Amino acid sequence: MLKILISFAILAFAIPVYALDGTALLKQVDRNLSPESYESYRKLINIEPDGRKKEFTLFTVKKGADKVASLFLAPASEKGRSTLRLGDNMWLYIPNVGKPIRITSIQSVVGGVFNNSDILQLDYTAEYNVEKVEEKGDEYLLYLKAKTKAVAYDRLKIWADKGKKLPTKIECLTEANMLIKTLYFKDVKDFGGGILRPAVIETDSPLYKGYRSVMIYAKVKARDFKDEVFTLTFMPNIESLR
Amino acid sequence: MKQLRISLILALLFFTLCSTSSSFAEKDAFDISEIEKKPYHIGGNLEFKPVLFGLDRNASLYKLKFYNRDEGSAIEEYDAKLQLEGSLEKGISKLLVKTNTDYKKSYLGEDQQTTIYEGFLSVKPSSSLSIDVGKKTLKWGKGYAWNPVAFVDRPKDPDDPELSLEGFIVASADYIKSFQGPLKTISFTPVLIPVYKHVNNTFGDIDKLNFAGKLYFLFYDTDIDLIVLTGGSKTTRYGVDFSRNITTSLEIHGEFAFINDYKKNFIDSNGNNFGKEYDAKSYLIGLRYLTEKDTTYIFEYYRDGTGFTSGEMRDYFTFINNGYDSYVSTGSDSLLKKALSVTEGNYGRINPMRDYLYFRVSQKEPFDILYFTPSVTLITNINDKSFSFSPELLYTGITNLELRLKAAFVSGERLSEYGEKQNDYRVELRARYYF
Repeated sequence: MLKILISFAILAFAIPVYALDGTALLKQVDRNLSPESYESYRKLINIEPDGRKKEFTLFTVKKGADKVASLFLAPASEKGRSTLRLGDNMWLYIPNVGKPIRITSIQSVVGGVFNNSDILQLDYTAEYNVEKVEEKGDEYLLYLKAKTKAVAYDRLKIWADKGKKLPTKIECLTEANMLIKTLYFKDVKDFGGGILRPAVIETDSPLYKGYRSVMIYAKVKARDFKDEVFTLTFMPNIESLR
Repeated sequence: MKQLRISLILALLFFTLCSTSSSFAEKDAFDISEIEKKPYHIGGNLEFKPVLFGLDRNASLYKLKFYNRDEGSAIEEYDAKLQLEGSLEKGISKLLVKTNTDYKKSYLGEDQQTTIYEGFLSVKPSSSLSIDVGKKTLKWGKGYAWNPVAFVDRPKDPDDPELSLEGFIVASADYIKSFQGPLKTISFTPVLIPVYKHVNNTFGDIDKLNFAGKLYFLFYDTDIDLIVLTGGSKTTRYGVDFSRNITTSLEIHGEFAFINDYKKNFIDSNGNNFGKEYDAKSYLIGLRYLTEKDTTYIFEYYRDGTGFTSGEMRDYFTFINNGYDSYVSTGSDSLLKKALSVTEGNYGRINPMRDYLYFRVSQKEPFDILYFTPSVTLITNINDKSFSFSPELLYTGITNLELRLKAAFVSGERLSEYGEKQNDYRVELRARYYF
């Protein structure tokens, strides 16, 4: 009887502690991945099954939980294009077209396995609630559920290193738990300014058999921006921030 | 025909060479030197486009253009285009220039023309304010194929809406303010458009200084623009547009334009000229829908209040046919020349009538072929039931090279818009290289 009472007591305390820790843990993962406001450079590489590659270079700025903008620097065919995300709103500016057009999170402006929500990633805590956390050896496994239907992936499973509190793998799933893609976080690197994070994210998908995409980070550094930077009108001028 | 075949072979050879060279240039390493900012930039694109036109020898517009020559049932054309872009940045100032050089070899011989599309100085004292002076495109409006509220732009071609356009010489500013809450952004764009003998003289009546303004809001996740143009070169006009995502995969947009005292000039079947003045209302409603399989549907309905009615267009085509008959019987082309004089900028507009539907379906990367996008576009004139149908194949898998094979077929009864186009069909291959 005493054992049963003790078990109930442990459970009663354990569940709220896990729920609370899950949200706090996810916040910590967000902050370890990047400062709340920062700039960075990224190279995106799409690799086809026959080994052929296509590369894109982007300059990215982010502020707060839900504002992020990117500017394509290369290749020449994409140079000058920019993307903006304000919460669930996303736009693409193409210099020739001249005006920003609305795009969706499940589209991909670069083709390949990364879609727009991967490229314009917000804080995970901005889009997801933590349903539960499990301990798997040296890692935590966080089960995330999207806060709204507007989020690209309804569910995420995040494996995070216990010591560094950084993700090592993320599975992106549909509402019915069908796997859409897997992100692998590699090559933890010190970017200076206290930013220690994976420099490489690789992804593959059962929907794109044989294809891979890789995102390589460089020059990640904390920087504050005015809110006006994250507006449609400013999209043609993101280059001026570099 | 022989030249066309040679062009196709050259384009394929170009494709193969670029494909080979790109595989040698691949590298995974992040070369920091490539992201270092330079104070200047020079780039652009070079395009080559052989085109085959299938002529409709019974069409009014064929008769208007070819009445005194016989070019057979099909004509070839070889187009090349060079667009150069350059910029120079110092402090808060930036100078941008974009030129366009068109080369055309057709049944009329060779022709070449260079135009400055844009060339302006931009000064940004802060992220909230920028001031631009010079030639630039504004491209207002939310529609994909048409933009009735684009009062300060040249009309775009719904058959190729993403082509860059020549701007006008303007002085403009952008002031941006962001907020928390349902109203997230306001921006104000005032524009001065001088129109004089040698400045913007195609914009409208000369010796006027025009003012245009755009007030933009991001309100409850909806983009909204309020637009005005006044000053005398054109009659005063007001516009409003919006764009919003209803769901993550469905976007809707619309535009409404009110044009004061629009003056319409038209001609009857005997060649008598008429003028009519009225307040014109033009509007557009559209949607863009993306499926889980990456199929994009774009649908737009466009009502052009300045357009011609079916009766007015029939009169115009009948007058051309009468003019052609007169030319055949008497050898005098005076009636055809008169028809030609009312065509430019009037009946000769890209879509001169009132009600149109635009429907485009594109499938991204079918059969797991990366960077390959086939699509079909249908533009229908609701008033006379004529239409244009354009299938195209786009491949962008080779870095900086874009290949597009496109055809366009038009169909319609006699005296209808598409039924009287000079071509029954058009086939083109466009190879565009960016540098």
